[in-house]
Amino acid sequence: MNRPQALTNRLRRELFATPLDGLITVALLLGLGAGLKALLHWTLTQADWAVIQANSTLLAVGRYPLEQQWRLWLLTALLSGATGSSWGLLRGRGWPHSDRLAAAVLVVFGLVLPATLGLTATVQQHWWWITALLIAGRWAAGRWGGELPSRWRRLLPLAWPMLYLLGLGLIGGGLGLMSVRPSQWGGLLLTLIEASFAILVCFPLGIALALGRRSELPLLRWCSTLYIEFIRGAPLITLLFLGQNILGFLLPGGLAPDRVWRAAWILTFFAAAYVAEAVRAGLAALPRGQWEAARSLGLNTVQTLLHVVLPQALRVALPATVGQFITLLQDTTLLSLIGLLDLLGVARAVMANPEFLGRNAEVYLVLAILFWCCCAALGLGSRSLERRLNRQSLRSQP
Amino acid sequence: MTETMTSHPKADDPRTVMIEARAVQKWYPNGFHALRGVDLTVHQGEVVVIMGPSGSGKSTFLRTFNALEDFQKGSIVVDGIELCDDVRRIDAIRREVGMVFQQFNLFPHLSVLDNLTLAPTLVRHRTKADVQRQALELLARVGIHEQAHKFPGQLSGGQQQRVAIARSLCMEPRLLLFDEPTSALDPEMVQEVLMVMQELAKEGMTMVVVTHEVRFARQVADRVVLMADGEVVEIAPPEQFFTAPQHPRSRQFLSQIS
Repeated sequence: MNRPQALTNRLRRELFATPLDGLITVALLLGLGAGLKALLHWTLTQADWAVIQANSTLLAVGRYPLEQQWRLWLLTALLSGATGSSWGLLRGRGWPHSDRLAAAVLVVFGLVLPATLGLTATVQQHWWWITALLIAGRWAAGRWGGELPSRWRRLLPLAWPMLYLLGLGLIGGGLGLMSVRPSQWGGLLLTLIEASFAILVCFPLGIALALGRRSELPLLRWCSTLYIEFIRGAPLITLLFLGQNILGFLLPGGLAPDRVWRAAWILTFFAAAYVAEAVRAGLAALPRGQWEAARSLGLNTVQTLLHVVLPQALRVALPATVGQFITLLQDTTLLSLIGLLDLLGVARAVMANPEFLGRNAEVYLVLAILFWCCCAALGLGSRSLERRLNRQSLRSQP
Repeated sequence: MTETMTSHPKADDPRTVMIEARAVQKWYPNGFHALRGVDLTVHQGEVVVIMGPSGSGKSTFLRTFNALEDFQKGSIVVDGIELCDDVRRIDAIRREVGMVFQQFNLFPHLSVLDNLTLAPTLVRHRTKADVQRQALELLARVGIHEQAHKFPGQLSGGQQQRVAIARSLCMEPRLLLFDEPTSALDPEMVQEVLMVMQELAKEGMTMVVVTHEVRFARQVADRVVLMADGEVVEIAPPEQFFTAPQHPRSRQFLSQIS
């Protein structure tokens, strides 16, 4: 059977198997077509993208000093190189079909998107370099990564936390760099800083709370339960306002973090309670026999937790935890309500500018796409991690 | 009870005592009186099989030997160490006492080899290469060295239970406890596990086995213990126990299982 015929057969089988199926397919196609046509019409003829072009820097980094922005470009380049290398190390020498597709999409985005957005020539070139670095990292790490001594390879996961700290240093300054205060951070930059900090810190905190809630020490158990239930019972926006007001009273003058870090800690404490519940579900799913087997082999409580219980519980908790991270990323938009210039905050400032009055739809659409990209990246990462873990062992569980 | 315990070793028995349980009583938190004053002495190199109807407390009793269950009255001395609430003392006992479970309880996220090497490297602080060599030897002894790099989920029940036995042996225990090791297995896999246990018994391993396998008890056990309603009803050599049980409760149990 030749290919077009196979395709027709498949289409008939999947879309037009019965009259009702055919009706649903046709109705959906018509609806989709109409929607797409309207969207294209608006995007190409009615929308005025000058508002995005004129404010792209503001949306990206807020009021970060112009002459210091090379630090952010350097950080982006480092991150892109590290992403490419990690990708290459995970995949090795080969280029499977999905990798080629992903690389092609990235190249097209890197080349085409800056041009269509009408960014300046320098910025366009920066994006080209960053894309090239990503692909080169993928290629080089895939080609030679396997030849690294195993002792080095074991240290590689440490590179990301180091890079994170380096990134915070680059953004904030210090050690010879001019310091850029958190109040000058804004836009996508601030959103990503707040979200990544909260995600990184709330994870261990959530694990600790989940273990505390299942502890045999009554006081620890009560405190953890009280904390989790209190946080889960309060809306985030209330806690954010409360945090802005109360942290200043609770901590002595010098120790109280500024507004940006205050908000980051509140986000962290908030998400930790939800992560704790996800981890608790993972712990509860573990048969008691695993504890008993580990203890009867002479492992103490800490060894049992680290080597037997948590690796299995976290695997179960992974999807729910990443779901929580995605929610957390979206919740950062609430920061605009307490007066921080995160992505939404900057966007609202842009829309209030009389020059761009009535251009809300364009701004919100770009915001939605940016958030979708970040969340999709998180989701993709977690799913590939899940697949990797499952391939290892649980696949053939009886 | 005393007249049925004729086979109980005398106080001047020269062999080393591995387990000395005296008047052990246990209540579950819901008030159920699970063990009602149980005595048992197990000597080094001995194979003791505990039988009894379900709910008789035999598994509970076995699990007190490595402190997976606590007890409220009486005393248990394992390998010269008296069981108490001291965590370090319990860990010391667990290092010397291996346990094989009904549900195997292998670690599903670790390969077969890593299942064996985890405890010796963490608890005995031995080098990984050293433990791996021993682990491969043990896997060969239980007949599954080709599966060393598979994960537990890829093995049959019988193979998993043999891995579990090898995992216990890798800690070089002085005493092995078996909690219904063949009860969760498909019938055709029971024999391969019993064979491994029989080999161990021949090599002089001290073993306490809770099981329903009459044939294993007859061929391998030095003594059979019958428990019912949280008490030891009869202790006798297998030949005597299965052919001429002394206690009416024993006769009732044997008529039920045969």
